[in-house]
Amino acid sequence: MSRGDQIASTALGRLFRGQTAIDFYGRRRVGFIIAVVVIIATIGSLFTRGLDLGLDFEGGDAWDIPASQTFGVDEAKAVLEDNGVPTNGARIQRRSSDTNDLITVQIEEVTQANADQITAAFAEAAGVGTDEVNFSFTSSTWGGEITDKAVRALIIFLIIVSIFISIRFEWRMALAALAAMAHDVVVVVGVYTVFGFEVTPGTVIAFLTILGYSLYDTIVVFDRVRENEGKYAGIRMPYEDIVNISMNQVLMRSINTSISSVIPVVSLLLIGSGLLGAVTLREFGLALLVGMISGIYSSIFVATPLLAGFKSNVGRKPRRERLTGDKLRAAVIGSGVTGRLATTGASVDAGSTARSGSHDDDVKTAAVLQPVGQLLTHPPRPRKKKRR
Amino acid sequence: MKRRLWFSLIATVVAVIAALAGNIATNNEPILGLDLQGGLSVILAPEDGATGDDLLVVRDLVRSSLERSGVAEPDVRVQGSNIVVDLPGVKDKEEALRSVSVSGIVELRSVVNFNECAASPAPAVPTDETIAEGRVLDSDGTITVDGDPTGEVTPPVDEESIGFLNDEAKTSFRRSAPDPDAPVETDAPAETDAPAETDAPAETDAPAETDAPADTLAPADSVPADGTEPVAEVPLDLAPTLAPSITGAEFLPTLDGNALCAGPSQASGEVFARDSASVQLGQFGQFSVSVDLRGDGEASWNSLATQCFNRLPSCPSTGVDTDGSARPGQIAIVLDGIVQSAPVVNVPVFDGSVSITGSFTQDEADQLSDVLNRGAFPVQVTPQETRTVSASAGGDSLRAAIIAGLIGLALVLAFLLAYYRWLALVIIGGLTVWAMAVYSAAAFVSGATNYALSLAGVTGIIVAIGVTVDSYVVFFERMKDEIRNGRTLRNAAPRSFNSTWRTIWSADLVSIIGALILFSLSVGSVRGFALYLGITTVCDLFVCFFFTRPAVLLIARSKFMVGKRAFGLEVATS
Repeated sequence: MSRGDQIASTALGRLFRGQTAIDFYGRRRVGFIIAVVVIIATIGSLFTRGLDLGLDFEGGDAWDIPASQTFGVDEAKAVLEDNGVPTNGARIQRRSSDTNDLITVQIEEVTQANADQITAAFAEAAGVGTDEVNFSFTSSTWGGEITDKAVRALIIFLIIVSIFISIRFEWRMALAALAAMAHDVVVVVGVYTVFGFEVTPGTVIAFLTILGYSLYDTIVVFDRVRENEGKYAGIRMPYEDIVNISMNQVLMRSINTSISSVIPVVSLLLIGSGLLGAVTLREFGLALLVGMISGIYSSIFVATPLLAGFKSNVGRKPRRERLTGDKLRAAVIGSGVTGRLATTGASVDAGSTARSGSHDDDVKTAAVLQPVGQLLTHPPRPRKKKRR
Repeated sequence: MKRRLWFSLIATVVAVIAALAGNIATNNEPILGLDLQGGLSVILAPEDGATGDDLLVVRDLVRSSLERSGVAEPDVRVQGSNIVVDLPGVKDKEEALRSVSVSGIVELRSVVNFNECAASPAPAVPTDETIAEGRVLDSDGTITVDGDPTGEVTPPVDEESIGFLNDEAKTSFRRSAPDPDAPVETDAPAETDAPAETDAPAETDAPAETDAPADTLAPADSVPADGTEPVAEVPLDLAPTLAPSITGAEFLPTLDGNALCAGPSQASGEVFARDSASVQLGQFGQFSVSVDLRGDGEASWNSLATQCFNRLPSCPSTGVDTDGSARPGQIAIVLDGIVQSAPVVNVPVFDGSVSITGSFTQDEADQLSDVLNRGAFPVQVTPQETRTVSASAGGDSLRAAIIAGLIGLALVLAFLLAYYRWLALVIIGGLTVWAMAVYSAAAFVSGATNYALSLAGVTGIIVAIGVTVDSYVVFFERMKDEIRNGRTLRNAAPRSFNSTWRTIWSADLVSIIGALILFSLSVGSVRGFALYLGITTVCDLFVCFFFTRPAVLLIARSKFMVGKRAFGLEVATS
């Protein structure tokens, strides 16, 4: 029988055994300050550097031409000039990776006939067939339309999700979850503006993925909070304690999940874009990576402390300081499943202390704080050997 | 209870494998998007407000136009207020692009003498003299044969001649036969007669065309370089004295690369009733196209028809019938500046409907009917986004995404195996079932709806690996807690599942809501992403309930785990 009675001596061991006692709520200011710094940095960068909106949002024509010794940025520029396209508004970049070497050219909208002509000219200059030249055209109104539609879809999505969370959990949780999600999006936008990555429809998809992932992760954490809320409903456990206990309980799950989620994305980023040279995967992967890490971070360090903040003024005032250290640890371990057991296990003491005049809550709290070994006074009743 | 669990487990595995086998057996695999296999994608938007029905019509028009240009089963669909054309893997991108970018305006113009166009530059296309147009317009579409006054009608057609005719007809139509036979006659009457096989066609009118083309083609072919020459000369010969008197006349290319001189546009395709053009098979196997006139379009159509029938200067006779009398004028049906057909008008006033007869093949008749339908339906569409991706770049992305995904998956499994030890077997089994289910669903959905698996979809799936693994992590972490608190594995498993299931469906439901909303409201690649997000999430829920639950519960009941390490704890005997 292994009951995990022993508290592991190392931090890692405690983490592994679910015996952590981190005072997340007490350190909420750290999380908030980091969030505020990130938001300020992002806004600052947005104003000074702006976002590099790609072709799809601004409209225009673009080509991807295989680069070679004899075909580089200058040659591409020459081709544009030969075809009467002003090169000062054009954006010509060389994007290369191990296996790919492309010249990307973007110009403002020209007529289709012109575009065909330029495609042929590029192919000729680069010494490849026109099939090897990727051409894209986007009308300037289209980018606006994509954005409008995505924004509209997003707003409707957020409204419906808020309603869903409000029904399934409560509205404060919806608010906290949306705040955490906004935090994640701001972080990713920050990465884009600070590093000057181009925003493409792929980026929009990465944003949406991050949004969804952030909400998903927050809901998993909130579900545990909700469950513990029910467990401690009888003993008026302060909300900060519930939050702390829940956080510590889901910590290992969050770590495992983040490792499992991040590994494929890192693989996409390193192997897909680095080794195999799919240039499009690179920025996409980076956005996803940052967003997912931020999503996991925010559900623990932003969403939940925020929720505790929203809830702390609700209901009766707690009668004591919140639990810390070993007391918190005991609650984390003991209440993992047996929140109810804790109160019954301490019923004997409860009777005596109640008589001595102290408050009922203290007794019940004390019960929760007992070491695990005392929670279960006897091993579970053996199951009858009957086939169910 | 135990039997139910076994049933659920086995049924799930069998069902998923069967679905996969079915998809593989029928060669049903997910359609790869443009960015994964190269190809062409165009998004068209109507210029003015168009209703959903309008878009459907335009969609069909674009689709048939693409099919004609040789693209098999083009993926053309309406998304929101746009039309999305995806042609992954298409070979001839430029040709396809041309087929897609039709502005769709059909004009009706009279065919005038060549000298009217003398002032305007000849079209770049090599022109050629025109040929007697075999097609005839009849009112009512009932009597196609008699429409032709030429008297070609005479001899009944026998089987052979029909066959022959049709072949010929094809040629003539392709090269666009029509036209002013004026030149023909003058230049090479002898030849014209030759075709005199004409008699046979008589009924179909085809004959006229048939022979004519034969003749004309010859010269055209023989002197390809200066195709323009004959044009210039012929008209001069014919009517050297006539000065251009019609403003707005210009040379227009015909379908075969010839040209004819058309007067100003007198009506648009809107005179025809919407979606009314259809192909009919006549008594002798000849095809004709009939189309209804719209109430408010009848007047303008008839005004044009009357001019032509009466051979007014604005629509002069362009040829001579076999009996030597001047034939009525022709109406050119022009789509995007290209003459689709230029039938001779045999009736001055049409009542309600028009029938165009001639020696069409079915394809040609279908094409003409498409044109008339399109003309009746002038929604202007303009390309909003055009994207071509070379096949090599697409293949690179696909390979990169697949390799990255597989390596990522392997690493995740290695991590879980190290962490959960024996229980990780359930995860491996579950992920395998999940992957098969996702593949089958993707193959099915993309087969049924034409939604291609794009790069966005692939990355969506890669991200979904993390979310799917999370179901197991939440479940097992919960079990770990329960066991640590003194429960037996057997006892802990069902309890943990109950609370885990609640967590998972709450969280997954948010993803599904997101997928549904994005799918219905967004456009382009975002939609593909939403589709695959939805598929993977639903598969996750499915596998979690019907595979993971019975698998874990059964393991928990058996002696399998006893004494083995899992969760970093030794599992106690129960």
